[in-house]
Amino acid sequence: MNLLRTLVVSTAIACFTFAGVAGAGTLDDVKRKGFVQCGVSQGLPGFSNPDEKGNWTGIDVDICRAVAAAIFGDASKVKYTPLSAKERFTALQSGEVDVLSRNTTWTLVRDTALGLNFTGVTYYDGQGFMVPKKLGVKSAKELNGASVCVNIGTTTELNMADFFRANKMEYKPVVFEKADEVVAAYDAGRCDVYTTDRSGLAAQRLKLKNPDAHMVLPEIISKEPLGPVVRHGDDQWFDLVKWTLYAMLEAEEYGLNSKNVDKMKSSSDPVVKRLLGIEGDMGKNLGVDNNWVYNIVKQVGNYSEVYDRNVGPATPLKLERGANALWKEGGLQYGMPVR
Amino acid sequence: MAKATRKSSKRMTVSQEVMIQMIDVHKWYGQFHVLKDINLTVNKGERIVICGPSGSGKSTLIRCINRLEEHQRGQIIVEGTELTGDLKHVELIRSEVGMVFQHFNLFPHLTVMENLCLAPIWVRKMPRQEAEEVAMNYLERVKIPEQARKYPGQLSGGQQQRVAIARSLCMSPKVMLFDEPTSALDPEMIKEVLDVMVELAESGMTMLCVTHEMGFAKTVSNRVIFMDEGQIIEENEPEEFFNHPRSDRTKLFLSQILHH
Amino acid sequence: MAAEKKEALVLAKPPAKPPIWNDPRYRALFFQVLVLGGIILLCVFLVHNTLANLARQGIASGFEFLGRTSGFSISMHLISYAEENTYFRAFLVGLLNTLLVSVIGIVLATIFGFILGIARLSKNWLIAKLATVYIETLRNIPLLLQLFFWYFGILRQLPGPRNSIALFDTFFLNIRGLFSPQPIPQPGFWWIPAALGVAIAGIIFLARWARKRQEQTGEQFPVFWTSLGLIIGLPLIATLITGFPLKWNYPELQGFNFQGGLVLIPEFVALVLALSLYTATFIAEIVRAGILGVSHGQTEAAYSLGLRPTPTLRLVIIPQALRIIIPPLTSQYLNLTKNSSLAAAIAYPDLVLVFAGTVLMQTGQAVEIIGITMAVYLTISLLISGLMNWYNKKMALVER
Ligand SMILES: Nc1ncnc2c1ncn2[C@@H]1O[C@H](COP(=O)(O)OP(=O)(O)OP(=O)(O)O)[C@@H](O)[C@H]1O
Ligand SMILES: N[C@@H](CCC(=O)N[C@@H](CS)C(=O)NCC(=O)O)C(=O)O
Ligand SMILES: [Mg+2]
Repeated sequence: MNLLRTLVVSTAIACFTFAGVAGAGTLDDVKRKGFVQCGVSQGLPGFSNPDEKGNWTGIDVDICRAVAAAIFGDASKVKYTPLSAKERFTALQSGEVDVLSRNTTWTLVRDTALGLNFTGVTYYDGQGFMVPKKLGVKSAKELNGASVCVNIGTTTELNMADFFRANKMEYKPVVFEKADEVVAAYDAGRCDVYTTDRSGLAAQRLKLKNPDAHMVLPEIISKEPLGPVVRHGDDQWFDLVKWTLYAMLEAEEYGLNSKNVDKMKSSSDPVVKRLLGIEGDMGKNLGVDNNWVYNIVKQVGNYSEVYDRNVGPATPLKLERGANALWKEGGLQYGMPVR
Repeated sequence: MAKATRKSSKRMTVSQEVMIQMIDVHKWYGQFHVLKDINLTVNKGERIVICGPSGSGKSTLIRCINRLEEHQRGQIIVEGTELTGDLKHVELIRSEVGMVFQHFNLFPHLTVMENLCLAPIWVRKMPRQEAEEVAMNYLERVKIPEQARKYPGQLSGGQQQRVAIARSLCMSPKVMLFDEPTSALDPEMIKEVLDVMVELAESGMTMLCVTHEMGFAKTVSNRVIFMDEGQIIEENEPEEFFNHPRSDRTKLFLSQILHH
Repeated sequence: MAAEKKEALVLAKPPAKPPIWNDPRYRALFFQVLVLGGIILLCVFLVHNTLANLARQGIASGFEFLGRTSGFSISMHLISYAEENTYFRAFLVGLLNTLLVSVIGIVLATIFGFILGIARLSKNWLIAKLATVYIETLRNIPLLLQLFFWYFGILRQLPGPRNSIALFDTFFLNIRGLFSPQPIPQPGFWWIPAALGVAIAGIIFLARWARKRQEQTGEQFPVFWTSLGLIIGLPLIATLITGFPLKWNYPELQGFNFQGGLVLIPEFVALVLALSLYTATFIAEIVRAGILGVSHGQTEAAYSLGLRPTPTLRLVIIPQALRIIIPPLTSQYLNLTKNSSLAAAIAYPDLVLVFAGTVLMQTGQAVEIIGITMAVYLTISLLISGLMNWYNKKMALVER
């Protein structure tokens, strides 16, 4: 029976130690290992997409780079994990990634039951439908009986169900895990309709054989606030990712950009001085260097620079600022005061 | 060999009725000429022992008689029916000719009783009850009635071979072919099988027996055939065959086999 | 006298019992209890630890979600299902789809595998070579690749709904699937399947009776022809009397696609094709080995007793070959069932895609859902091997 007692005791010890490890601070972890592990998509142009050289680009990617710039003063200290919609939350929950920045919609269930926290909204979006022009469909209300290609594990899957149910229409979902397979199935004619976030439609359309043969229907059937996500229970890390985005919005609002940020160091505006760490201990409060905003803006840019570079009207996606304009310009983007 | 058998062999009679006739039979395996110009007549009640060196074609010869092998030239007539490509003839002859193999070839998934009843039921269309009665009768003759409900895998080699003999007898064959029935058996089991064969010979069964049991040949057979390289070299009564072999090859063979 | 008696008594006593810790029975028991206890403790530890971690991270746990409304549609369901139904019903739909694909796959793979296996043993050179080439090729290409070949390579090339390939204007084939008329029974129709049922029952009875009679009297009865007459005749009579009260719901091109009728979606077809054609190669080899494993002496013995080739095969060869075939066949059935979860790669709504996919994503209850899914696959597998083991035991050879 001695053996049994040993077993019980060792089990109990194992229990305690195990519970202890999982709670360590993410920021300390990240600093120790020297890079941010960032969960991204498997390739969505404008949001997170590897370029010809294999470098990740996109608005979601830039958020991770900004976090790295704030911590290390070096935006390149990021490693990327491409995740399908289905895998993404498990990867975050299990600690495989430090932050998930992958066109992920902020919903109540994800924010609570999944044990996650959304740190803000990088892109205000809504779900839309794309159909081949030759179908002759002008409105989503005409889609009764359609086959719909969709990504598994997305809000898209759910909104679509709601929309068809509310309009008393029937539909046949064809559900794939990989976004490229969804697009390919739609392109081959397996479905009549392709549905996802409208930004996603704009991006995925570029992958079609003949993008001009397709059109996006006017209806926007949902709200899709896309933003970065972290785990529950680590407020320090949550704060840092959250304020990284606010800093980029504040920088835009106060006229800081990657080109003028060095000159602006000598600005007399107290807000700018606080942002750039010349006055106050903003960075210290977050657990990073005081010139964190300088590093972000210098290396990654302010919000509008990031927007225009990745998804703006000058890019293949051609997305107008719209709801993503600053609040002062009638949009929804509103950076909290850095003070 | 038991003394009794020597006495009993005198009692056995041979009729003039022809049972098997092989006329100018040739057989080839591809290019290989296994049987060359075989002529053999077996009368009813004859007990013929075939011997000869390994590879001489003994097995092939007797397997031709129930068409487990096909001959290419010549005629084989069993009980007035000629073996040709006609399946009806083949079936008829197979049901009249029993065969016992060196490795018993019992059906391992069936009990002894089922092994014995299979052919009577499916070939002779005998009611099961009758078939079982017949089977039991033969099991008693081979002295293992108590094994009826067992599976072949539960029996000794000698017992298995006796079951195999009984299985053939259940079809009431007119001729029995034996292909080295004792050569896969341990010495102490050989006797029990030979005893059964002797008894069968006494009952007047026509038998063709490939064997190296020279005791059996001397006492039971009425004719010994010596084969070499696909030919029948010598054919004689056992007394003459063993005491005054005519050909050199027979002498050589006998000297080898008797010295062992 | 008295002393002698005493001694005898002492001798008669059973040998002294060994101390309990040296008694092999108790020892074995002790170690089994120890191992079992260890396993239970480990499980308790794992469950406790998982729950604690989930709670600390604020992740929901429990099985209440099964009763909540699912809200999503599934393209293929064998039982009625709509968005208003619960997650549990969605689970059932996925499970049934998995079972359907597995059962049909197993049946087809078995039939095809037996044919292939026997073909490879054929004396006909061409047939044997064709079978060999087929087997050697298909079993060496990964299943997922074959699945993609059928789905993306072949079925994807089919035309759109408006250019469907039509057969007699009743069957339509396009990229959305194969559309065929659906029978809709009218009142009185059930007499026909009932007649069929009676015919089948009659045949079973007839076969038993004929067998008994043959055993008792040796007379044989033309069971096959009588059965054929019964199975065609009875339903035919029922049809003539009732006037075949069956309406057909023909698929019609309406809006985006064909509406009405029965649909075989391409995902299902691709999955069944890939699973059965692939597994058939393994079954073929098993069958071949099984038949070769029965020694030629068995055939010779049966022939020499006067049995014809067909009864020889049925009574002697196949019963013995089956014993060699069944154990490896079981593992092929298990493989096929588990491989059916590749469904998720081509959008076939099986248990993995529907339950461990969509439902998991929507509820986030990964631990419970993966647990249930694993339990389901384990149960299916155990059922299959249990069944096959039972059958195998029934067929086992008795050895010395
Ligand atoms: N199926 C076959 N194909 C080709 N050659 C064969 C075949 N069966 C037998 N042979 C050859 O035919 C010859 C005669 O064989 P058979 O079995 O009749 O000899 P045997 O006299 O019975 O020899 P043993 O005493 O060893 O049993 C041998 O050389 C053998 O190799
Ligand atoms: N915003 C939705 C949908 C996100 C989503 O996964 N969209 C797909 C289609 S645009 C996608 O990003 N695919 C890219 C990929 O999987 O790599 C959500 O959070 O559920
Ligand atoms: Mg031989």
